[in-house]
Amino acid sequence: MSSRPGGSTETREREKTSLARPWNVVVHDDPVTLMDYVTKIFMQVFGYAKAKAERLMLEVHHQGRSIVWTGGREQAEIYAQQLQAYHLVTTLERVES
Amino acid sequence: MWFARLDAGWLFGDISPEALTTLEAVPLLITSRDPRVLKRLYPETYEDEEQEREWRRNAGEELKHLFASREELVRGDLQRIREPLAGRGKVLLIPDPHASGWLAALNAARLALYALNDLEPGWMAGVERERMSPQQRTALARIRLLAELQSVLLGERTSPPEAPTADPEEDASGDD
Repeated sequence: MSSRPGGSTETREREKTSLARPWNVVVHDDPVTLMDYVTKIFMQVFGYAKAKAERLMLEVHHQGRSIVWTGGREQAEIYAQQLQAYHLVTTLERVES
Repeated sequence: MWFARLDAGWLFGDISPEALTTLEAVPLLITSRDPRVLKRLYPETYEDEEQEREWRRNAGEELKHLFASREELVRGDLQRIREPLAGRGKVLLIPDPHASGWLAALNAARLALYALNDLEPGWMAGVERERMSPQQRTALARIRLLAELQSVLLGERTSPPEAPTADPEEDASGDD
């Protein structure tokens, strides 16, 4: 996603605050998606090495979720959209201060 | 069903009528407007309602276009299924440039089958399948077949996928 519409002043203020703090890209477990597929998508989207992608995939599998990337909101949204494009259950969570 | 690696992509042959039915359903499944499917293919991203609405306005629309183009790609390849030699079965070629789209479409179709048939997580792992209806058994068999095609495209399979049956007791899909 490259652009975001304006919205209200309150929204813009809230977004300024949101943009200043990092966001977690979180992938959640689902009972259908293949483990090898998840690993491949992590490698493809983030450019992770296979070992790291597999470790994150196993974290999703065993713990139900994994923080797969942390950083600025705009990039986090780009990653979330890419992961959702491959049908991984992905949410965005602001890092608590 | 057999498969072979060609310079141009992956070739699947001797496609049974059951497997063909399963494959031909993929474009319909991934564009289903059933709320259960939509909920899974367009999951909530933000906890905050306003952020979620904005996400749906932007990313949601882009995803919708992407899924529609994927549906066209899969439908096009399915329309090119041939029976090169009479009586030797049908063959499907998935060209390499289409493999990524197919992988995602197969995943979406599996998720849609799961949602539409009210399957349960335990059944994917082989637990308490005696409670499944015949329709659910068929759906699970189809999910397994599509998983096997995914495994081929992922380069993880060395033996041919089997046609779906309504008795998915031996689930080797290794689902997440």
